[in-house]
Amino acid sequence: MLQFPAWKILLILGTLVWGVVMALPSVVDMSGAPGFIPKKGVNLGLDLQGGVYLMMEIDEAEVAANRLEVFAIDVRGALGRSGDKKRIGHLSKVRDGALFVEMTKAGANGDYPVDEAIERIRKVNPTLQGAIGGAKMFEIAEAGRNIVRISVPAAANEAIMKDALGKTMTIVRRRVDPDGVSEVSITPQGVSRIILEAPGEADPQRLKDLLSRDGKMTFNLVESSPIEIEQAQRGVVKPGYSLLSGPGVGDLLVRDIPEIFGSDIATASQGNDESNRPKIDFRLNSSGARKFYDTTLKNSGKRFAIVLDDVIMSAPNINEPIPGGSVQITGDFSITEAQDLAAIIEAGEMPAKVQFLDQRTVSATLGEDSIRAGMRASIIGLILVAVFMILAYGLMGCFTVASLAFNIVLLLGALSGLGATLTLPGIAGIILTIGMAVDANVLVFERIREEQRSGRSPVTAVQAGYERALSTILDANITTFIAAIVLYLLGSGPVKGFAVTLAIGIITSVFTAFVVTRWFTSIYLKAFRPKKLAI
Amino acid sequence: MLLKFWPAKTDVKFMSFRTIGMICSVLLIAASAFFLSTRGLNFGVDFAGGTVMELEESETVTVQGVRSAMPISADVNSAVGTDTRSIIVVKFGEADGDLLGEAFQALTPEQQVERASGATNEMVTRVLKEKFGLQDSAFLRNDSVGPKVSGELFRKGITALGVALVLMLVYIWFRFEWQFSVGAVAALSHDVFITLGVFSFLQMEFNLTTIAALLTIIGYSMNDTVVVFDRVREEKRRYKKMADREVINLALNSTLSRTLLTSGTTLLALLAIFFLGGPVLRGMSFALIWGVLIGTYSSIFIASAIVLLLGMDLNKKPADDAPGFQSAS
Repeated sequence: MLQFPAWKILLILGTLVWGVVMALPSVVDMSGAPGFIPKKGVNLGLDLQGGVYLMMEIDEAEVAANRLEVFAIDVRGALGRSGDKKRIGHLSKVRDGALFVEMTKAGANGDYPVDEAIERIRKVNPTLQGAIGGAKMFEIAEAGRNIVRISVPAAANEAIMKDALGKTMTIVRRRVDPDGVSEVSITPQGVSRIILEAPGEADPQRLKDLLSRDGKMTFNLVESSPIEIEQAQRGVVKPGYSLLSGPGVGDLLVRDIPEIFGSDIATASQGNDESNRPKIDFRLNSSGARKFYDTTLKNSGKRFAIVLDDVIMSAPNINEPIPGGSVQITGDFSITEAQDLAAIIEAGEMPAKVQFLDQRTVSATLGEDSIRAGMRASIIGLILVAVFMILAYGLMGCFTVASLAFNIVLLLGALSGLGATLTLPGIAGIILTIGMAVDANVLVFERIREEQRSGRSPVTAVQAGYERALSTILDANITTFIAAIVLYLLGSGPVKGFAVTLAIGIITSVFTAFVVTRWFTSIYLKAFRPKKLAI
Repeated sequence: MLLKFWPAKTDVKFMSFRTIGMICSVLLIAASAFFLSTRGLNFGVDFAGGTVMELEESETVTVQGVRSAMPISADVNSAVGTDTRSIIVVKFGEADGDLLGEAFQALTPEQQVERASGATNEMVTRVLKEKFGLQDSAFLRNDSVGPKVSGELFRKGITALGVALVLMLVYIWFRFEWQFSVGAVAALSHDVFITLGVFSFLQMEFNLTTIAALLTIIGYSMNDTVVVFDRVREEKRRYKKMADREVINLALNSTLSRTLLTSGTTLLALLAIFFLGGPVLRGMSFALIWGVLIGTYSSIFIASAIVLLLGMDLNKKPADDAPGFQSAS
């Protein structure tokens, strides 16, 4: 128990050096240090640095419905005329989580061509990616003498949700952090949730506004006939058109089928016009630019509307064909609004709207207060415990205090090394560790005292003390460790931070108490060969 | 050092007081049950849903002012602040749909249920910003939790407590005997239940951090109990003829100075958090301080007393050491 071969001592010293190197950046600015030394300190949780936490959910039903809307276009194609196949007249509608295709024309014998329709729709039914045995994405079945019902089976729903969650995460990132420079963290949770953590952000409303928009951008032609607009305003809208409006353009009758889609846009950014007012510039990709040129060529003299989420952003006249695919929107924007709109346009359309389930904001000032209070409590706690231990155990108490300092360095080093996040409850976890780290030492010292009392020499007493205390120390710490693991697995946010520090603290405190203090004691025993341990 | 003044051998007849201990515990449990059923727990937004805001108090922003400016009914109180600022806590539930604007009313009924607390938060934040000319930074904290998440957090919290208790039961069973595991888990449940009772009696806010504190109490109390049990097993093997009651007394006495020292250092550290750690940690450190006290008490008067009640049969298999850890050299 008291033999420390050279390799063990090297290992202990190595661990200590590692702890110091890893812990240093959390305490002092290391930016001037050579390259191989880590410069990043421990991550601070949102409760310590301030920021916004948002938990959002995408609606499963809406995702499925949107996917069915997209499939409805394929169905229209499949039932249309092609080659020797005749067109099957139909109406389609998404309702109650399924797409209903209703045949409108009966054949000569009065029957509807349901079977043929099903067969033709089956041909365009996409294969489910990653599914075994070529399973299809949609379930297609007859649901009445002239109705086909298309629904999403559970397996496909899962795949669609996974896809939607991934897409939404990408869009969330592009909207919130268009330049990819901020420290925003976006993590999935379960099948339908996303957690966004934005350190340093003070306004949850801005983030919510950015994220709650669909981001559906289209270019549509405008029907300019004043009679049609007047009729539409009275409630009789020309079929295939919708009455939309927007700031500065008033009511316009807009064609439902767009000429250019959001997916045709390559980039969007905020710029300034001649009079230095913010505007939004965007560039179409090559196929979008070609479509745009064709449209402007064919519809010279008409107006087109740039529509974002059913609001007309701008409705310029087409004076001449426009090549190059570069478009701009001017309007009454602030710089931030123009930047946010550009981010929304460039990021593209959300698969479904997100709902905010949980939002938390902590201001940076409160975070600073918490750090200061936590640091002060830690230092005072440490001093109290140190004084108490030295008073109780004298020299052995000093060994404990030294290994306690070692413990804190290791704990801090391990936290930054593992990339763990320190939260305010996490600081409480460190302080609790300080209190409890002493326990293992106390268990050993009490044993040594007993052994000494029964007449053993210091060396054998220390030896026996460590041997007999080991199983108790392990038992006692494993139970606390179990509690920490449960906390980690089932806790969230700051509580998880607490569990991490508690768990790491248990490991480092058992190591320091059982190895480091023992090493100090063995050095002392060898150097001074005391007749009796003052303990 | 100081410990020299601590008698080398104490001889407190702990088990003679076990009836008194049991009576105290039963009374405490009954009182806890009474408060929990009449007053219930004061759930924070984590578990109850709704919104809690913390505003920095100033000459213009006062408790009275905020109270009268609130567009819906709310609890507005001043709270224990930090060194440099006083804090006003504003707590409220959900406003009626017609106060929340057209966008909200356009949602489906299910979506409205989920969005209500967030939308109410937006509305109230806007009103307060306008009325007092506040910046974002004036809101020190601004949390809203919808019913779906708060329900889940509560279920998860309770599950965590249950899972931790079962794991402890299994671990102790594996390391000792079933009597010990019954005693340990009874002591843990006792600690958790009475702590809940205290939270109900004082109407302190019960939130996620409180669950973390309860789990830590479980860990700490277990730690204490295991140390005593280890000693009981050891003494029982050494003194095979000795009555269980004496064995337990002996074990408790020989671990007494360790129990007091460890509780003492942990309490010192926790008191530092309680008084100096700022308002956010006060509830948690209170629970932990209480937990250390009750955990120490329960390992003597509940865990050990139950083992005495159920009897041990360690003697029947003297050669068969408990599985597990051998001392390393």
